[in-house]
Amino acid sequence: MPEVLKPDSLKILNNPSQEPQWREDFPIRWENDHYVTRRELAKFLTLGSAFLVIANVVMAFFGKFRGAEQYPRAFVANASAIPESGSMLFRYPTDRDPCILVRAKSGELRAYSQTCTHLSCAVVHRAQDGVLSCPCHMGLFSETEGRPVAGPPIRPLPRILLDQQGDQVFAIGVEV
Amino acid sequence: METRQQGQTMFTGILLLIGTVIIVQLWLVGASMDALLAHETEILIPAAIISFLGLLLNAGLLYYIHDFDKRVRRSNPAR
Ligand code: FES
Repeated sequence: MPEVLKPDSLKILNNPSQEPQWREDFPIRWENDHYVTRRELAKFLTLGSAFLVIANVVMAFFGKFRGAEQYPRAFVANASAIPESGSMLFRYPTDRDPCILVRAKSGELRAYSQTCTHLSCAVVHRAQDGVLSCPCHMGLFSETEGRPVAGPPIRPLPRILLDQQGDQVFAIGVEV
Repeated sequence: METRQQGQTMFTGILLLIGTVIIVQLWLVGASMDALLAHETEILIPAAIISFLGLLLNAGLLYYIHDFDKRVRRSNPAR
């Protein structure tokens, strides 16, 4: 007589002490799974924490050992060429660094990097308000000190140090 | 309550702690980057030290988790 194959689900009826088939297929309980997932997440987060420390240490290292930068002396313009409330664009210390020379309301010449300290758009001189204005997000910087006075920027514009010899104006450094 | 269940609750608490420390560390990285760009270098070293202390705290908590796990396995080797 041929042997009758019983379906798996019937095994449990024949032997109630045995675990059902699905238990063999899915042997891990929910709570055990959560337990392991949380343990692994803790490991992963601690690794992330280590990376953040590395980032901080690298920045501290750069800050400590970055030597004082040397800036060239470069001719910018003749002072007489900048009218009252006027401005002029130039590049300093390299050709990739746009700067702006402005004659403030007080009559003094001031120069700043033209790169906005928010998201690097180019600032323009708004002489009637005595500010340098960034059109991207309406950031405003004072024309006399370069500090932010409105909008999203929180850092002042890097200031270009000037040296005037007679009528000639030279850039001699950058003050961040 | 079963030990593993207790562990699960405890791990959730510890994860929250670790997460909080990481948020503080993220903030420190952001603040340090801002300071570096503004050439305010004096806060960079204290920020790195505080971040490192955060890592030590996280590592301590992770060690505790491992230790707890080891004890659970020892008391119930089948799992
Ligand atoms: S880029 Fe200048 S305000 Fe945003």
